[in-house]
Amino acid sequence: MGDLPVLSLLLLMPTAALGLIVILPRTSKLAIKVVSAVSALLTVLLAAEVWWLYDVDGPQYQLQQIVPWLADFGISYHLGVDGPAVLMTLLNALVFLTGTLSMWTLQERVKEYFAFMVTLVIGVFGVFVSLDIFFFFFFYELAVLPMYPLIAVWGSSNKEYAAMKLTLFLMAGSALLFVGLLALYWSSGLRTFDLVALGQHAFDRSFQVAIYPMIYVGFGILAGMFPLHSWSPTGHVAAPTAVSMLHAGVLMKLGAFGIFRIAITLLPEGAKAWADTFAILATVNIVYGAFVALRQTDFKFVIGFSSVSHMGIVLLGLNVLSADGLNGAVFQMFAHGAMTALFFSSVGFIYDQTHCRDIGRFGGLAKQIPIASAFFIIAGLSGMGVPGFASFWAELLVFVGAVRGYPLLGVFAIAGLVISALFMLRVYLRAFFGPPNPEWNQLKEVSAWGALPRAILVCVLLIFGFYPRLALRLIGPTTSLLLRRF
Amino acid sequence: MPQLPMTDLTLFLPEIALLSGALCCFIASVADRSYASVWALGTLSAIAALVCSCLTLTFQGEPFAPGIYRIDLFSQFLKLGISGGLWLVQMLSRDDSSLRRFGRLELPFFLLLSGVGMMILVSATELLTLYVGLELAAYGLYISVALRRSLAIAGEAAAKYLLFGAASSAITLYGISLIYGASGTTYLASVVVDGSSLLLLTGFLLMLAGFLFKLALFPFHFWAPDLYQAAPHPVAAFVATVSKIAAVGLLARALSLIGATDAPIGEVFAVLSVASMTLGNLAALRQTDLKRLIGYSAVAQAGYVFLGFEALSTRGVAAALFYALSYGVMSHLAFVVVCAVGRSDKDPSLSDLVGLHRRAPLTAFFLLVAMFSLAGIPPTAGFFGKWLLFAAALERGQYALVLIAAINSTVALYYYLQVVRAAYVTPLPADVERPAEPAVGSQLALKTAGWISSAAMLAIGIYPAPLFELAQRAAAVVLR
Repeated sequence: MGDLPVLSLLLLMPTAALGLIVILPRTSKLAIKVVSAVSALLTVLLAAEVWWLYDVDGPQYQLQQIVPWLADFGISYHLGVDGPAVLMTLLNALVFLTGTLSMWTLQERVKEYFAFMVTLVIGVFGVFVSLDIFFFFFFYELAVLPMYPLIAVWGSSNKEYAAMKLTLFLMAGSALLFVGLLALYWSSGLRTFDLVALGQHAFDRSFQVAIYPMIYVGFGILAGMFPLHSWSPTGHVAAPTAVSMLHAGVLMKLGAFGIFRIAITLLPEGAKAWADTFAILATVNIVYGAFVALRQTDFKFVIGFSSVSHMGIVLLGLNVLSADGLNGAVFQMFAHGAMTALFFSSVGFIYDQTHCRDIGRFGGLAKQIPIASAFFIIAGLSGMGVPGFASFWAELLVFVGAVRGYPLLGVFAIAGLVISALFMLRVYLRAFFGPPNPEWNQLKEVSAWGALPRAILVCVLLIFGFYPRLALRLIGPTTSLLLRRF
Repeated sequence: MPQLPMTDLTLFLPEIALLSGALCCFIASVADRSYASVWALGTLSAIAALVCSCLTLTFQGEPFAPGIYRIDLFSQFLKLGISGGLWLVQMLSRDDSSLRRFGRLELPFFLLLSGVGMMILVSATELLTLYVGLELAAYGLYISVALRRSLAIAGEAAAKYLLFGAASSAITLYGISLIYGASGTTYLASVVVDGSSLLLLTGFLLMLAGFLFKLALFPFHFWAPDLYQAAPHPVAAFVATVSKIAAVGLLARALSLIGATDAPIGEVFAVLSVASMTLGNLAALRQTDLKRLIGYSAVAQAGYVFLGFEALSTRGVAAALFYALSYGVMSHLAFVVVCAVGRSDKDPSLSDLVGLHRRAPLTAFFLLVAMFSLAGIPPTAGFFGKWLLFAAALERGQYALVLIAAINSTVALYYYLQVVRAAYVTPLPADVERPAEPAVGSQLALKTAGWISSAAMLAIGIYPAPLFELAQRAAAVVLR
């Protein structure tokens, strides 16, 4: 299978599924779900194949494929992956699969739902495997827009407001990116959008310092950077289960990935110049997110703000600009993706039955629905950074890097993690333990089919928790190549 | 494919196709008085013109008299757009309700004649010929805008259009006279606007007035929202598509006159561009009438197109040409929905779109593609078009300008999403009994038009290379 364009197949697979979904009549709901699930399963296999084929000791970008697209304008359809991209494609495929399975009970406007969701997935895959700025941005926008209908139609509580707010925030970020990315093109004088070619060009220092914040903030909005994060918790809360999973699990990672792939890679001088500022903001993310989460009474708001806090860890790691920091940041993107998907998947299960997310109205859920509760509790443990889960290593690395680079911020960030343990334990105490609320005595336990997606995610967290080398072997060589630019 | 010989006659083929079609329509509308035959004649002649434009795409020459009328890749590229747009608009008008009672028999004649005028416009290389084309293109429209008599404000809109049109073409004529006075010639080939003569520069800027009027750029946009709202649907569609393409061609031709000069022409264009997009977008935010909303958005879109002209470069003009053609297709698609929803001669408002995804999934899909394309979302042509325009403006280092434009397109996204929201999100109130209109589904012509436009939109968006290269070559030809 050596010569097969695996990465193109990775994009084609969901595209074919989209075509099928569009053709199928809207009444054949099961067929649509099966198409989506099968294509998701195949993308997981393809992502595994990519991982298998990727040689960690090889060159930085592998499995490359270049087709000139618009030679006159320096645009080519250039795909390729480095270590972090391999990891993120795997994550996206997993979240696609588990998200599809989590929405198995959907009955309302199934065809449109899956059409939009698969479009989003195509966009996300595209961003992770593109090595051309035009296509990177193309897929980036393609991934963002389906969020609007997905939240506005299938969401809950204040959904239209949340959907519009999210879209406008993210598009404002895109406005900055438009300018920033095109500036890269003109300023290099190379007349190419190719990331690899641009990576060999040393941009003017003053240019880097001027453009870096534009690209960083443009992507940072999607990564939930403080103070432009407010779209994210409202969006999480309003979105339906699988959309929350995709949104917090992979979509927010696109922002961090963009910073990693474009901003830091192409503008190292700019990154150095702005590292202090953005590290402080990232720390605010961590601490602020945790404090706000402490006060929430809605399950999804708790997770939404904890996402803000955890994405702060990713951003802090990126701004530390050391091997530990970058490795931790990329690992955290992956770990947090799997963990948040598990969070939203378990909350979705509870919400679908009770139509209630008010933590105060629950109690002793662990007695009523032990297995479903276990999934939430495991996600929470992982979020707190308990050893044995993937997040532990990721957070540890970032904090080690942070304490070395910015001792004061590092201490604050670790304090933020302590607070996050506090709010998670508070949720456990109120909702899952203590006296059961008789109102929910007849809750149905999760079925084997329903438990499958959550179990997959738990396995991922545990495998990478007990054997972090799996991920770090992938990430390490890429980040050390990147650090040579500094 | 056998190559046509390049003679004076074959060079003129697209124009001949439209002109003879127009005359046949006229005769049929007097003699036969059956709408079906007049419509069929009009459509046939638009298709014939489209085919002729394709066949003569690579031709070049100056038929009849040198220096007055030029056939080259640039002119034929635009004629392709004009005749294609004309055909698509004809498809819209087949079953249109806004014209049912009055004047629909004459409409194909007026539209074709106006199309001929636009073809002359994009080929003319002499100022008076150009002016004749401008007037010929306008007269047909002045009349057909007024054809919708069931609406009270139709008369007002038609009067506004006529008065603004007359005033701006008077300014253009004055500008032409100044150019003649300064340079002693009306042949564009010998006019170069450089820093040497203030008179020439003034004349040039005044001449642009009539062109900007056609593009509905600030401050010549006042007629646009009224016209979009009150004109018969197909006529508004014609103004929104074909007319725009011709106007962009005209401006590109005008731009070719600019030589080396310190005069701040680019800066003037930049100001007009920003004013136009900001004003259009802000006004569109408040609209509830779908056509009026499209009208204001057209003012904003004209501002985007101007980003390309502001750059005063081949790349910029190519971007503008590319965007003009894609914009023609996307706004046509929006009008497919207008025609489908506004069946009962009522102007479709946003609340008429509610529940469209249930009542008419296909129409709703067309609307989605049209709005996303107008908003510049991939994988539609609008995304690539904006990318080109912004890139062209940035080439001159206009960071602030592009940032303003990009923020503007975020603002615009709000109202485009409002339209999508109405069609897809807002639930149909249970107590309100809505007629389950078949919308696009039952009308073959409309449905075909919608499919063609949306397929073109996605095809151009995913693989823009052929159209872009054509636009690039056309721009290189016109800019000497």
